[in-house]
This record gives sequence, structure tokens and C-alpha cells, in this order.
Amino acid sequence: MLVMENVSKVYPGGSVALQDVNVHIEPGEFVFLVGPSGAGKSTFIKLLFREVLPTEGSIYVDGIDLLNLKHEEIPFLRRKLGIIFQDYRLLPDRTVYENVAFAMEVIETPRRKIKRTVLNVLDLVGLRSRSNSYPNELSGGEQQRIAIARAIVNNPRLVIADEPTGNLDPETSWEIMQIFKEINETGTTIIMATHDKDIVDAMGKRVIAIEHGNIVRDEANGVYGYEI
Amino acid sequence: MGYMVMRFSTKEYFVRETYKSVRRNGFMSFASVSTVAVALLVLGMFLLLFLNTNNMAKHLESQVQISVYMQDAANDADLNNTKAAITKMPGVVKVTYIDKKAALKRFEERLGDQKQLLNALGKDNPFPNSFDVQVDKPERIKEVAPQISKLPKIETAKFGQEILENLFQLTRILRFGGVVLVFFLAMATLFIISNTIRLTVFARRKEVTIMKYVGATDWFIRWPFLLEGMSLGFIGAVLASIILALIYNSMVDRIHGTLQFLPILGASPLLWWVSLGLLVAGTAIGALGSFISLRKFLRV
Repeated sequence: MLVMENVSKVYPGGSVALQDVNVHIEPGEFVFLVGPSGAGKSTFIKLLFREVLPTEGSIYVDGIDLLNLKHEEIPFLRRKLGIIFQDYRLLPDRTVYENVAFAMEVIETPRRKIKRTVLNVLDLVGLRSRSNSYPNELSGGEQQRIAIARAIVNNPRLVIADEPTGNLDPETSWEIMQIFKEINETGTTIIMATHDKDIVDAMGKRVIAIEHGNIVRDEANGVYGYEI
Repeated sequence: MGYMVMRFSTKEYFVRETYKSVRRNGFMSFASVSTVAVALLVLGMFLLLFLNTNNMAKHLESQVQISVYMQDAANDADLNNTKAAITKMPGVVKVTYIDKKAALKRFEERLGDQKQLLNALGKDNPFPNSFDVQVDKPERIKEVAPQISKLPKIETAKFGQEILENLFQLTRILRFGGVVLVFFLAMATLFIISNTIRLTVFARRKEVTIMKYVGATDWFIRWPFLLEGMSLGFIGAVLASIILALIYNSMVDRIHGTLQFLPILGASPLLWWVSLGLLVAGTAIGALGSFISLRKFLRV
């Protein structure tokens, strides 16, 4: 699903975000990305959906060579991905339903299919009854569930989550993690950057630790490994 | 607004987004429509002024002709030979013979009420037999006139040389100045529209970013903004055309009332063409302005 070979990223101005990173992730895996702030997790995530290009090395996502991807091909890479952010990034002037349907509209899905799929996905995240609410009428956990619904509505091969529980209390975080677990159980690969020690320790999934732009640890059934 | 209203095709999506954006940015949309209208109105006025001066210049140019005066000694055969020779010259379109009597009569008519002045001449007719020679292009006069002078039994071949040259000079300046002005006004309009669209894109940059993340193509993102720019340009052009028509019609009326001799272009076909031009220009400039201001935002 993901192959990174000898990947380095140096930003203009000389700051080194990643250095000679090698990662292989198989389809269906659930991988946590941990490490101190500024260690390179965000750059790692941004490389995956081709928001930034590496300075050196090669990256393949679901067989797509990101280094030789033309600008006009980027949308078709992103249609295979579901991206979730810490700050949800919902559109405040659209309802819950519209926010999720939006992701299908922009890739020009037939309208009949949109309605059916959106309602199913809202069922999955448990928010079908809030279809007509606006994001500001929802709690943080509910907003993140909408963001997850939007990310998975196009049935992505890989879900990328950048600190999805960073703004949520522990109980809500667990509810969110249950949804991720369910998504993973349907065969979708998940890569999640997080600072949540309890969740990483309890889930018992593969953990990749990044420090100063290097991978310092990569273990199956890993733990968070940092004191808070 | 429930999900029941969410049935649409992609085209409907574009139109709906455009409409929403124009409404959401109500004041900005109003401001840019007005600016576009003013810019296109000025553009249209200069266009009309330019077309009219051009027309006037052409009209004056076409009136310039060579007057060929024959010697009194020329008999009918000479006159026929001269006419045939002039007609054969390259660029000569029309040769009109005016005999002594016709020339006198024409002069009488021109004098109108002051006809009695002619009595001073007694029975003499001072006018020679002559030809009015028209050429295809005004520039040709300078070549043709000397050739005519060389023909036998010719008294003089005259034309308003100085007037003609000044006229050429004036039309050249007007044409060049008009083109430069129209160009700069078009650039200004382009700048205004692209700025307006930049503001609306900026207001919706979050939406654009999310669209990019979920895999929208550049063209999918562009269309609503292009439609918005085109609508703003089009509406502005409609306003400009209406105002322009009102102004021009009242001007034509007034000029026809007082300065009848001015060869001003009639309102009917002209205004339609100018309006059509403004509509096309406004819409195209709107689209181009959107396109320019979107470039930066699509590089995500």
C-alpha cells in the first residue's frame, strides 16, 4: 500500500524534516505514527497525499509513483485516499449531509448514488439523525465523525489521519477510535499520526516512531513509548 | 435546506455554486458589476467616438476630388479625348463632365438668395468646361493629379492638397490613439475583475483546499469561479450597453437637430454591434480575470 525508499525532505531554507526514511506498509494494516512535535510526522503525512514532494527518494502509494505524478493526476491519487485532520476542516455553511455529499459531488458521482452512500456512511458514524444540522451545532467529537464520514464516503484504499483525536476528550477519542477500528476491519489501510499514549498502547497496532526526521523505532504491536 | 434538495447533476452544481457565491458576496459582486459597467461604458464611449471620427474622416476623404479645368480652346473632340485619357488612368473611379452652363447653374444654386450678384457678370459665363475626377483611394490623388496636368488643352488640375494631408495626419493620430486607449481600458477592466474574483476565491479558500483534498480536479474547482467572473462581466456589460444606448440616442437626436451636416453614424445597427462587442468583451474579460486569480490558489 505504501512504499517509501530513502526519502528525505529538506524545506527551502534548509530545515531538514525527514532523512533517509524507509517504510513498507501492507494493505489492511493499521499504523500509528508517533514522535515529538516537529519530528517530521506532519511532513510524512503530507508526502502521502502529494501536498509536498520529497527532496530525495521514491514514494509509491497503492502502486502510484508520486514523484512522476503530473499535477493534473494528483486529484486521482487523492480519490484513493481519505484524509482527516485534527481541526476537522468542515464547511460551516453546509449541513452535515452536504459536507459529506460534497466529497462525492466534486468527483462527479451520479446523484442517486450520492444520497444512498451518504446516508449509509452517516449511519456508520452514528450521525444520520443530525443530517440537517450545521457543524457549529455539533460537539467536537461529532464534527470529527462527520470528517471521518467525508473521508471514507468514496471508499478509499488508504485513510490518513493527522492527530484526529488531538482536540477531543478521552472518552470521545475512544468512540472515534472505535470507528477507525471498524473501517480498518473492512480492509482499509489506516495511517494515523497521534500524541495519544493511551490509545496507542491499548490498540496494540504497528507503531512507527519518528525523531529528528529519522525512524527510530518500527514495531508490530508497539507502544507509544514517550512519557507525557 | 434538507437533503431532499440535493438532487443535481454536475452542471446544476456549478450554476448553484455560482449563484450562491454571487449572493454571499453581495456587496463585492455589486461593486465589481458597477466597476465593470463604468469601465465598459467608457470603453464603449471611446469606441463610438472612434468609429464616428473614423467615419467622418472617411467621409471627408471621399469628398476630396480633382477638379480639371479645360482651356476655352478645347473643342468637343478634345473633351472626349481628355475624358477617355483620364478614365484610363489607374485608380480613377468616376469622371463627370460639367460644361460651362452646368457650372454656372451649380454656382447659381449655391448662391441661393444672393443670386442677383450674378447680374454683375452680365451675359458672360466665366466658368470653363471641367471634369470632376474621383479616385478609389484618397492617397491616389497625388499620383493622378500631375498626370492629368500633362494632358493637352488642360488649364489646371486642382485638389486641396494641404487639407488632404492634414486630414491624413488627423485620422492616423485618432486611429492610433483610439487603439491605445481601448487597450488600456480593457486592461483596467481585466484588473478590476480579477481582483474581485481573487477576493471571492480568498473568501472561499478553505472550501477550495477541501475540494483539493477530496480529489476535485482543477477544472471542477475553476468552473464556478469562471461562471461567476463571466456573470459579473456580462451583467456589467449589459448595464454599460443600456446606459451607452441612452446617451448615444439623445446625442444623435441633439446633433440631428442642430449640426445636421455632421456625418454622425446612425444609432440602429451601430449600437447593436457595439453592445454585442461589449457583452463579448465583458464576458471574456470576466472569465480571464477569474482564471488569472485562481492560478495561485490551485497550486495546493
